[in-house]
Amino acid sequence: MASAGPTKSTAPVKPSLPIELLPTDLARIVSQAHPALLLSAYYLRFPALVADPVSTLLKSLLPLAALQISYAILCLPPVGSTSKPVKKAKPGSKKTPEHSSAKILTVIYALVLSLVSVPVLAAVQVLFGAPITTHIPHTLLSSAHVALLAIFPLIYVHGSDGAKWREIASVYSPIDEVFGASVGSFLGAWLGAVPIPLDWDRDWQKWPITIVTGAYAGYVVGKLAGGWLLKGKKIEFD
Amino acid sequence: MADPPPAPKVFKDAVPRAAPGNYDSIAAQYERARAAEEKDDQERVGGILGGLGLSRREGRGKEEKGAFERLNEVKERRFRGEWLWVVGFWVWLLCIHAAGLYFFTKGFLLTRLVLEEKSTCAEPPIALSTRFSGAGTPEAGCWHPKTFDKAVVIIIDALRYDFTVPFKNSTDNPSQAFHNALPFLYETAEKQPQNAFLLPFIADPPTTTLCRLKGLTTGTLPTFIDAGSNFAGEAIEEDNLLMQMKDAGRRIVHLGDDTWTALFPGYFEDGISRAYDSFNVWDLHTVDNGVVEHIMPLLSAEKKGEWDVMIAHFLGVDHAGHRYGPNHPAMTAKLEQMNGVLRDVVEALDDETLLVVMGDHGMDGKGDHGGESDDEVQAALWMYSKRDTFGRTKPEFRIPPATAKERPVNQIDLVPTLALLLGLPIPFNNLGRPIEEAFAGVKGTAWEKLAAVARMTAAGIKRYQAAYYVAQGVDESTVDGSPKALWATAETTIAGTRKHQNWQEGYTAFLAFQEETLRICRSLWARFDVPCMILGIGILAGGVLALMLYANGNSDDGNAIDDIDLDRAELQLELDNFAKGDAAPLPDETTTRLLFRGALMGSLLGSLLCPALWGMNGSENVLDFGLAVGAISGLLGVLYQDMRRRMSFGNPLPTTIWGWLAVIFTVSQSIGFASNSYTIWEDSILLFFLGTFGVASAFSALRLEIAADRALGIYHSVAFVALGWAASFSKLCREEQMPYCRSTYYASATSSTSAPWQLIIPFVVAAVLPAIIKSFYTGSRSYEGLAPAWISWAFRFGLVLSAIFWTLDAADDGEWFPNLPSGLLKNIRVPIAQTVFALSLVAGSIAFSYAPPCISISTTATPTPGSQITNSSGARVTILGFANANGTRYLLLVTNILLCVLMVQKPMGAGAISLMAWQILTLLEILDLLSLTSSPIGPIVLALLGSFHFFKTGHQATLSSIQWESAFIPLHTIRYPWSPVLVALNFFGAQILAVSAVPLIVLWKQKPRKKGLLRSVVTALSWHVAYYAVVCLATTMWAGHLRRHLMLFRIFSPKFMTAAFVLLVVDVIGICVALVGVRFNTLSVSEVFGWA
Repeated sequence: MASAGPTKSTAPVKPSLPIELLPTDLARIVSQAHPALLLSAYYLRFPALVADPVSTLLKSLLPLAALQISYAILCLPPVGSTSKPVKKAKPGSKKTPEHSSAKILTVIYALVLSLVSVPVLAAVQVLFGAPITTHIPHTLLSSAHVALLAIFPLIYVHGSDGAKWREIASVYSPIDEVFGASVGSFLGAWLGAVPIPLDWDRDWQKWPITIVTGAYAGYVVGKLAGGWLLKGKKIEFD
Repeated sequence: MADPPPAPKVFKDAVPRAAPGNYDSIAAQYERARAAEEKDDQERVGGILGGLGLSRREGRGKEEKGAFERLNEVKERRFRGEWLWVVGFWVWLLCIHAAGLYFFTKGFLLTRLVLEEKSTCAEPPIALSTRFSGAGTPEAGCWHPKTFDKAVVIIIDALRYDFTVPFKNSTDNPSQAFHNALPFLYETAEKQPQNAFLLPFIADPPTTTLCRLKGLTTGTLPTFIDAGSNFAGEAIEEDNLLMQMKDAGRRIVHLGDDTWTALFPGYFEDGISRAYDSFNVWDLHTVDNGVVEHIMPLLSAEKKGEWDVMIAHFLGVDHAGHRYGPNHPAMTAKLEQMNGVLRDVVEALDDETLLVVMGDHGMDGKGDHGGESDDEVQAALWMYSKRDTFGRTKPEFRIPPATAKERPVNQIDLVPTLALLLGLPIPFNNLGRPIEEAFAGVKGTAWEKLAAVARMTAAGIKRYQAAYYVAQGVDESTVDGSPKALWATAETTIAGTRKHQNWQEGYTAFLAFQEETLRICRSLWARFDVPCMILGIGILAGGVLALMLYANGNSDDGNAIDDIDLDRAELQLELDNFAKGDAAPLPDETTTRLLFRGALMGSLLGSLLCPALWGMNGSENVLDFGLAVGAISGLLGVLYQDMRRRMSFGNPLPTTIWGWLAVIFTVSQSIGFASNSYTIWEDSILLFFLGTFGVASAFSALRLEIAADRALGIYHSVAFVALGWAASFSKLCREEQMPYCRSTYYASATSSTSAPWQLIIPFVVAAVLPAIIKSFYTGSRSYEGLAPAWISWAFRFGLVLSAIFWTLDAADDGEWFPNLPSGLLKNIRVPIAQTVFALSLVAGSIAFSYAPPCISISTTATPTPGSQITNSSGARVTILGFANANGTRYLLLVTNILLCVLMVQKPMGAGAISLMAWQILTLLEILDLLSLTSSPIGPIVLALLGSFHFFKTGHQATLSSIQWESAFIPLHTIRYPWSPVLVALNFFGAQILAVSAVPLIVLWKQKPRKKGLLRSVVTALSWHVAYYAVVCLATTMWAGHLRRHLMLFRIFSPKFMTAAFVLLVVDVIGICVALVGVRFNTLSVSEVFGWA
């Protein structure tokens, strides 16, 4: 049944390592608080989301971006600074103004690239059966949310390194908090499609509420699982 | 097979270094195969190849070559033998599936005892409440004074109620072609209420003409099994109106639809009756014109004496619906014609004749029928008499109902109404009630008469009920909710004083009794034989288990290691042993043999034990009992053999993500069929799954090391998803999907013809599809041998013919050339279709069976790197297409099937099937690149593709989406067995194509002399069939479990029937095309390259 042996699917030559959080207490606390904050904010906005998906999704983009940016800045090592992520840095010595501006540049860079990924994510949703002639704002906005959740932190920590991104795109990156959260949010969005066809006539079955909900839930689950349980593991197809 | 070769496979043309001893044979065989074409090359090639062999085999004598040939013969014999075992197993599996479905169906489909009793004129079910002279004779009226001497019954097939009521045109709701085209019925009913009335006439599903005619004449409810026999009617044995007419000496004349003559053979007056073929739905006019031609003379004064009852059955409206849909000018024209005919008939009518006009069922949005949607069951009933007869019991009933929801009558109500109006006894099985308007008197106050007819009818129903309980062996008093109390109330109400009021109350009380009895009967006949259903489900589940064991066993059997050096050494050893005079190696004990022997032994033991077991429980039908025992013991035999072989069960769960995906796709969908939503939206779910597979394969392709492989893998994955998505624009929505779905399969939602722009599709297909297939051949440099001639010419020629056929068809439908004699276009296009079938089935099969592999052997001065072999003398030989010799040849067979399937699909469907063919080819490349050819994911995705494109070819899991007209594509009339085969080819086209392509998963990019090919093909086929078997088992279970569900007959039952038929069709095609094709393919390839 299974084709035995790791045949051609081997990783790129240079082994890549899971991302470690910044070695500060603040980073650890924020990293714990972040999913809780995300979920509770989502829970509070849920009635509004069901009532008017487009405007709610649009209005919550900015808060979500703010949340993700602060999470990234406070907890994650920006691209380039991660050459020795495991090494214990001396607390305080990194907080130079030079580093802050570099972080802000990375944030902007990551935001722009995440924006670029929105049409791609929307196209994938359409290929999976999302409406193409109608509900275009819905699809774009749900893609924007997924991009901020799943793509933005990845770019923040990995930049646009081709080899690394090939590893990410082939889901072969070692699992860490960031990558796990991304995979989780995609899987969650995938599972979010399950209740759509049911004839329960609930308002929350409207496009794209279940997808976004799945993405948020998957993000949190993936982040926790990636940061603890599955850390360092790799996903094998065969 | 199980392990992929380590080399990149994109241009895998490298021929392995010469294996000892075999090139002589290759040369010899190959020379023979190509002798006709390449006389010049032949010697050189032969010489070179011979030299190759000699370079290693020099010095060995002739004896050795002989040994090699003999070894080959032994291997060929072994292959043929093994193949027979495989076919044996699959035939057995087909029988198991059929047996399981048979038992489930037997318990599931509603059954009703047919009683032999008949009503007679002299024996009313209850004493008459009023005496009248001549009572008990047909002349005066058997059970009630008769109102009319004669009757004309006109059936306008598929006359939906809203065709007859006026429609106010508005901008939000514009009128459609069928609106206001037949105003005559409504006008008369409105203006002369004492002469005519118009009411909605509700049919009991299934809404096929045959079932409806049974209901309309016997007055009883149909059983579901009747639906299946629409192709060939059977005579009605039960008591019915026509039988009563005949017994009373009434002469019946029949005109129109020949279903009547099938149901009532010998009932109709010779000489003046005229029956016409009913199934040629393309023909809108022959039947109607024939009826019109004969009806008017029969109504004339001189011929009136030759008949008492006339039945005229028009089919034009129904055929216009099937062919064009209700919203088409042809429908307007047809309804207007009917309007005129009815006007003329009324003119010619005399005072003593009753005229009844009715539809036997309605039609859905596309003009088809068979199911139980509102549009399908709501027909119209209109009665007319020159003499003032009819009345309304309330003033507001004067205007005919505006919609079919108001004051509807059941179709079975016609039976007692007509019987009592004509003075006949009510047929014994009747459950209907007299229609109020017919007996209410002109003033609408004839309560005494209404009470009398209601009482008489109710008494008949009561008598029937008693007889039914007796026949069933049930004591009536033990049945819960018996309507006996209602009967008693009704009797006491009218037994008292003869006051006006009491009659009305009595009438209502008898109606209440009838209504309750009808309700009970409906639920009673919806009584399922649960043990029988469980037996069926058990056999199907056993079949699935056996199939899984079979697939796992086969894939566990020797995972051949793909190593050229090892192969060569093995062959050398084998050959040496063989030459030394050792006996030929014994045939392996394969899973197929093992399990099939188990099945045979089990069945044998079972049938030996059968008489003993039967003696123990006795009451069953012998044949059924034998079948059940045979099936179960066969399954037990398989299980026993498997248990004996392996001491412990391994982990039955998949071990890879791909395996899990295959399981998730199959199982989640099967579970989903328990919900009506997931059943309704199956097409979207399949698109979702196919997209998931494509994305997963793209991820996986990104992991490939070689950049070219990676690019190809991503390209094919993206193409796979995009093609499926493009195909998803071809939609035929089922009623339940509204309003979230828009049909695109036909010109509009209320049509069943293609839009003009859709006619471009077949031409585009003819231009592009062969080129696409060619590109997959050239990818492995296999566009050699027969392939160029067949694909670029024969296949394309067939596609062009098919495109022309559908253009002519559209020209005929749209009446683009009104000046052409009618039937000319049909006469031109039928031979075209026949040519395509001859090309694909006859010529194609012959070509496939005799074709050499798609390879070319040549010597080149500057050979392509990596694709040459060097012989001892330094010359170079190139064998193009060597690496894909098995797959490319088999693909020829798939193109034959593809051509056949394309021919019977409408233009939109042809586009979808072409996209599917392209998707199959990309799937093959993906599986090969990702080394997944032995994983179950390939066959399962292929099955998903088949199921997905089932919907994209304009089908749904509903009866009304069957495109019956495909029976006429290459034929003028119904012909057995071809017509049902054609309809099946249209309905299951996508699944048929998918199962035919299953061997390609294994054979694609597979070089000759590969070991265990047949076993791998069989494994793939097992996984593929397992998908359908699991879905069939699940839908069967759900249909059985949800047998009281409101949506049973609308959603679950049609889905179960579709899944059941798909499983059987896939089994049959798997044996007849896939296995037979692999046999020819392997024989041909091995003849050239030697046996593995």
